[in-house]
Amino acid sequence: MLFVEFRFFWFFLAVFAVYWSLRRNNSRKLWLLVCSYFFYAAWNWKFLFLIMASSALDYFVGTMLSRTDDPRARRGWLILSLCANLGAIAFFKYYNFFVISAAALLEWLGLPASLHTLNIVIPVGVSFYTFHSMSYTIDVYRRKLRPVSSILDLACFIGFFPQMVAGPIVRAFAFLPQLRTLRVFGDVDVRGALILFLTGFIKKACIADAVAPYVDRYFEAPGNFTAASAWVGVLFYAIQIYCDFSGYTDMAIASAGLLGYELPINFRFPYFAQNISDFWHHWHISLSSWLRDYLYIPLGGNRGPRWFVYRNIMITMLLGGLWHGGAWTFVIWGGLHGLALIVHRQWSRRRDVLPDVRDMQKHAPPRGPQSIGGWLAWLLTIYWVCVAWIFFRAVDLPHAFPAWRSFVLLQSPGTQDLGTWMLWIVAALGLVHWMNSRGVFSKWWRRVPAPVFAAGYGCAFAVVLLFIPPHYAPFIYFQF
Amino acid sequence: MKQLARNFLCAALALAAFLAAAALIHAWLPPAIPKGVAAKLEFFTQHKDEFDTVIIGTSRLYYSISPELFDRTTREEGISTRTFNFGIDAMHPPENFYVLEQILKTKPRNLKWVVLEMGDIQTKWDAILGTQRAVYWHDWPRTVSTLKKALNPRGGAPWYIRASRLWLARRDLASNLTLFGKQFANAGRAADFFPDAARERMSEAASELGPHGDGYRLAGDPMTPERAAIFQKKLAQEVAEPRQKILDPATESAYRQAAAKIRQIGATPLFVVTPVTSQIAVRFAQTPPPAPLLSFNDFKKYPELYDTKVRIDDGHLTNEGAREFTRLLAHEFARHARQP
Repeated sequence: MLFVEFRFFWFFLAVFAVYWSLRRNNSRKLWLLVCSYFFYAAWNWKFLFLIMASSALDYFVGTMLSRTDDPRARRGWLILSLCANLGAIAFFKYYNFFVISAAALLEWLGLPASLHTLNIVIPVGVSFYTFHSMSYTIDVYRRKLRPVSSILDLACFIGFFPQMVAGPIVRAFAFLPQLRTLRVFGDVDVRGALILFLTGFIKKACIADAVAPYVDRYFEAPGNFTAASAWVGVLFYAIQIYCDFSGYTDMAIASAGLLGYELPINFRFPYFAQNISDFWHHWHISLSSWLRDYLYIPLGGNRGPRWFVYRNIMITMLLGGLWHGGAWTFVIWGGLHGLALIVHRQWSRRRDVLPDVRDMQKHAPPRGPQSIGGWLAWLLTIYWVCVAWIFFRAVDLPHAFPAWRSFVLLQSPGTQDLGTWMLWIVAALGLVHWMNSRGVFSKWWRRVPAPVFAAGYGCAFAVVLLFIPPHYAPFIYFQF
Repeated sequence: MKQLARNFLCAALALAAFLAAAALIHAWLPPAIPKGVAAKLEFFTQHKDEFDTVIIGTSRLYYSISPELFDRTTREEGISTRTFNFGIDAMHPPENFYVLEQILKTKPRNLKWVVLEMGDIQTKWDAILGTQRAVYWHDWPRTVSTLKKALNPRGGAPWYIRASRLWLARRDLASNLTLFGKQFANAGRAADFFPDAARERMSEAASELGPHGDGYRLAGDPMTPERAAIFQKKLAQEVAEPRQKILDPATESAYRQAAAKIRQIGATPLFVVTPVTSQIAVRFAQTPPPAPLLSFNDFKKYPELYDTKVRIDDGHLTNEGAREFTRLLAHEFARHARQP
């Protein structure tokens, strides 16, 4: 069930109506859990057991961690939780990748290899809900969070349907306290949530899904297209992935908001960043901050010699790339971003302005370029991000290199054309996005009377539906 | 309490505004006919007064009835006809009723005969879900007939059985209601106005209308010996166990309404069962039937249509088979046309 599907509207209407008619917090949580599991089961009910098992195990580990002060025992419980959660990801997402890579390595070394791959279905959202789950046990282990007294709270946190399958990756310390208190409808920012949902719907259904066929066409056989088409294909993909993922996130935050829960912001106009470090402060913020807190800092973070820090950055980004899926294209994507972060850090060190990785959540939207230097920095950043997107989107490495050659070196033997005029669409969307970042569209709708807002919203939705595609592409991040 | 009432009022207002806006847009936009159907409908609209007979059905008529041969045969029988084949691939009921309405809306002045293929109302659209083809005909009357059929597929079920089918038929109910929602809300209609859509429609027109521009397209090659053996075995089973079927209430009602609409514009309806492998004798529950029913799915009566040399598969005929079927249909047609 996708947020943009008609059936989601009926589903959410039922969830919303029953949720707010229940008086007791436990009844509401139970209702949310049932609905969340139903939401997931609409895709594949068998994998519900995986979520339930993950919730039950982490509840048990959390309880055991609270009962002992012995550091060795505590570490043991934490390792159990990490092994189980990461084991699930490793098996479902990476088993075939590791087997194929190992076989290729053995073959390269001239050793006989007879390794078998498995026909594995990757559970939707496995990377997201296991990260939710792990954040709970790690925070309890670090004594930053008291373990939950009821498994219902933890199951509700891990399985909460707006964020279960594609984030944002909510931290236990931010969400569990919200579950403990009875939400009040009067506190809900209904207008804000409705506008955010509509925005997300437009991003996903009207923009991302509209450019998707062109992107698919280009990346299916990039060698067949001209260099100008490479620019159209890659820039369209940059638009697609942003609108697809941030659109999903907007709808997730809005759905949660209508039920009285606050989810963290995941995107803040990342394409206006003027350096790669700033880009990561504004792109998939919940993942970058998760990796920072649970991987980069435990690795040593910014402490230690320069090369040690660079190593930490590179490991974090490579694993961040691998988190997206078992393929070398994702590893290269992570590596390109890691390399850019290192270069930027070195550059900043020379200019004595080191980026601070601790304040990602506090960053306001990027201001956008203000000077010629700023414009150059922005162009270089967006160019590098797009180069990296080629590897992220490519079916495999043999498909990535022709696209890279066309985009970077402007060389392509292909003759097919996607239509260079489409670059005007990119420019138009960029302009609208820039106006949005400057607050042109924001807040005026808060000032109109409620009945006018309601009528306008209904009409706006009727118009927006004219522009949806005949069928929706699944959210890109569902596969991760 | 006052706040709650205000909230409900606002929600109702938003819903009303949405419905009103969607209905207004719906009324303003032309019907969203997909490429293949649009090609034939556009052609028919331009030449509506040239034809007095229209054949409407699935690919089983589309590739089987040659209007040229049909008209020649009826002429030999002393009846003059000018026929257009409005067969469309996989146009099962109730889509065919929607298309029939669109044809009748063009007010063809000389239309005398409408030959409509018989078939059960379908409720599952998995193969075309996500395409405009599944959406465009899902107006309220057609949606109601699919819902009725889903809840009462064989007819005669008491209320508690129908209630129990709410669960069994939940997917059909949900998918048909969603398709109705998409149709009403004009989902994705903006794409119809992109230059690509018009270009594609034009390129589709030539192939859909066939080489003679009368809607008929030549069929493919006969079945392979292996498939022929399977076909013969299946046919022998069907012939050994002839069955009868009374139409379910939803389908019967839809055909009766279609017949009434055809008569309203002064034309005569005629229903046809094509020579499919299944040897089921279909009949209407209520008498008299709304229109004469010509059943060609009778091996004993029409053995020439069941020769493996003239068949592509269970439902389709080769060019040779199509010629034979066209002649047989024309003879039967003429016999009925001569009756007062």
